[in-house]
Amino acid sequence: MDELLRMEHISKRFGDFYANKKIDLTVKHGEVHTLLGENGAGKSTLMNILIGLYQPTEGKIFVNGKEEHIDSPAHAVKLGIGMVHQHFMLVEAMTVFENIILGDRNVSGLFIDRDARRREIEELSEKYGLDVELDKLITEISVGAQQRVEILKALYHGAELLVLDEPSAALTDIEVEGLFAIMRKLVSEGKSIIFISHKMREVLHISDRITVLRLGEVIGTVNCAETDGKALASMMIGRELSASQYEKMEAKGECVAELKNVDYNKNSKHNGLNGVSMKVHRGEIVGIAGVDGNGQTQLAQLITGVLAPQSGSVELKGKSVSVYDPSSFIKNGVSHVPEDRNLQGLVGDMSITDNLVLKATTAEKFSRGKGLLLKKRDMARYAGEMVGRYDIRCTSVEQTVRSLSGGNQQKVILAREMESEPDLLVAAHPTRGLDIGATRFVHDKMIEARDKGVGILLISADFDEILEVSDRILVFFEGRIMGEYSGKNPPVEEISLAMTGK
Amino acid sequence: MTWITSLLLATVRMAVPLLFIALAELYSERAGMVNIGLEGLAAIGSLVGFLVCYITGSTWLGILCGALVGVVVNMIYAYATISLCADHIVYGMAINIFAPALASFIYRVYFGTGSDLKQIELMAGIGIPGLKNIPFFGDLLFNQTPMVYIAFLLVIVTCIFFNKTRAGLNYKAVGEHPQAAATLGIPVVRIKYLSCVLCGALSGIGGAYLTTCYSNTYSQGNVAGRGFIALAAVIFGRWTGGGVLLACLFFGFCDALQIRLQVGSFGVPYQFFQMIPYVATIVVLSVIGAKKGGPQANGKPYRREQR
Repeated sequence: MDELLRMEHISKRFGDFYANKKIDLTVKHGEVHTLLGENGAGKSTLMNILIGLYQPTEGKIFVNGKEEHIDSPAHAVKLGIGMVHQHFMLVEAMTVFENIILGDRNVSGLFIDRDARRREIEELSEKYGLDVELDKLITEISVGAQQRVEILKALYHGAELLVLDEPSAALTDIEVEGLFAIMRKLVSEGKSIIFISHKMREVLHISDRITVLRLGEVIGTVNCAETDGKALASMMIGRELSASQYEKMEAKGECVAELKNVDYNKNSKHNGLNGVSMKVHRGEIVGIAGVDGNGQTQLAQLITGVLAPQSGSVELKGKSVSVYDPSSFIKNGVSHVPEDRNLQGLVGDMSITDNLVLKATTAEKFSRGKGLLLKKRDMARYAGEMVGRYDIRCTSVEQTVRSLSGGNQQKVILAREMESEPDLLVAAHPTRGLDIGATRFVHDKMIEARDKGVGILLISADFDEILEVSDRILVFFEGRIMGEYSGKNPPVEEISLAMTGK
Repeated sequence: MTWITSLLLATVRMAVPLLFIALAELYSERAGMVNIGLEGLAAIGSLVGFLVCYITGSTWLGILCGALVGVVVNMIYAYATISLCADHIVYGMAINIFAPALASFIYRVYFGTGSDLKQIELMAGIGIPGLKNIPFFGDLLFNQTPMVYIAFLLVIVTCIFFNKTRAGLNYKAVGEHPQAAATLGIPVVRIKYLSCVLCGALSGIGGAYLTTCYSNTYSQGNVAGRGFIALAAVIFGRWTGGGVLLACLFFGFCDALQIRLQVGSFGVPYQFFQMIPYVATIVVLSVIGAKKGGPQANGKPYRREQR
């Protein structure tokens, strides 16, 4: 088994941030090589470099021993590299057949020689057991079949190396078995596969070798036979188990929010909730751990009134909610630091002052006659105060929030949401994209609020953050709660296994 | 019998300019470019076609120049929407405002503000020997100006292009899912520009047809909403060559009908008959338009880095 692909010292820098740092990866002929890592570990960036969507900042790529500069997806196709994207790249209004032959450069001639192309495709599909109906429209076939079309398309375009980006994510269990059978068949025919996943069970089941990435660096490459889930999990999380600097509370104050058997889109593994029951009490931080896209977004939206549950109920301070809309939740003392600060948290072109008072424009403090006339001077004075208290670095309170850095934007949101003196604070990825100093500041403010008796629901894909501040940890996987753990001396490895569905 | 024959003859004559403009939109939308600036493109094509024909005496040269000016003006839309990812509707609207005004302006500058009507010689009809003598159909289909033949030929070419050729398949993929097309090495941006060249040229020809083959003068507003009816025809025709042909014949028929009804009626204000094509458009759109259709990435800007 000699090398098909060697990536040497690949680095990719976005601004000051290294998404990939000196990554070495080799893929042999006929192996399934898994890339394992948390969100943001750099897996996707690395694959985007491989298929020519990104250019590496430094490093070399060798295909069959020859150095190549892959400058476009077309070039990657020519080199025999095919990728099945997590979100399929299929034209829905076309038939399976048309999708496969799209962009074909191996044949010439003005017209499509349907019979000849068909024969070629059928040969391939028979060889690898990729069963597809060529004349159906993409919209008429199942997700599993669409995936087979994607694989067949890549093979038809001459792929020797297939990149499968979280291929099992959208499949049912039976379909996953079918996928694995196809993968084995491909490998036995000498094709190579790069498999991206964070589902431990699947990774151990199908891989020959596993490369673990963390924070843009390779932690190590191991043979699948010589490792187990626990070892991989600790490589993935890779912590020097430093104790949290915050004191963990075991508060059993009043329950500020409770979900009872809530379902939302329950058959969707990635955008739904399935029978979720949980409580948040005063004076505690409940951390939701889990890989992004396991229902956390829906949880945050449900508990802030953006979405209504399809079954089950939500209770705020012991009272069942009947009307699901954000304004009644806000009146009930729910504050929300949303997951996307630019999309949901701020109005980018408005000033810091305006954004700070956005939720309280009818309050006596800022207006006369319930919002009829704004007290501009009071608003400005208040904004000045907030800038000081929350350490918002700006040139003036009249500056647009768009012109602030991410950390300072987050502080504006935090100031607005904390100052409304909530009973429940829902913080979704509150430190995403923030540097260490700003992250620390946000955590300090959350602890401060907790000590004042606020119940906090923290949703984060950053496991470190969850461990750092949570008093209680719930693990989400495919819309379900996989387990509940104390924030004091949490069983890290057990939790990280639960995050991968095991 | 003669009433019906002349009605159908007029239908074909009315449908042809619509057909050129609707095919322009078809090529545009198949590459994901919603261009509502057809009215403007046709207006400037109509003026330039007239002007060139007036100066040189050649209707063919007039039509060619109409096509060229359509392309040039449409490049404003193309650059803004493709290269700068601007909104399609905004720039289509801009062309609708800009181009007709420019056309009137050029007309005034060239001919002054006098009221005498400038006229040109219309393109002569050419009968196809043998076929033109078939009773009824002969006059209808085989005794027309060459532009009519070109229009129908174009429909056939369009059907073959989109259904039978590899290039046509790749072209359609750009309108449906540009990201997918790009990963397969299809030059998305180049095809989008090409679509705008085709759209500009065909709209310009459609406009020039109005002054060189239909009425022998130019008057302000002579496109008379055909750009918008053509938009409707593409939707009505479900984004296919054949469908667009049928839609244009239908709208052409409505137009021909209203003219004939105006002549033969007493007591009913003629404006009611004038409404027929437009009312038909609204009815058709509300019946057909409700169903979702068309290229999926239609009207969406394509950014290469965005995935």
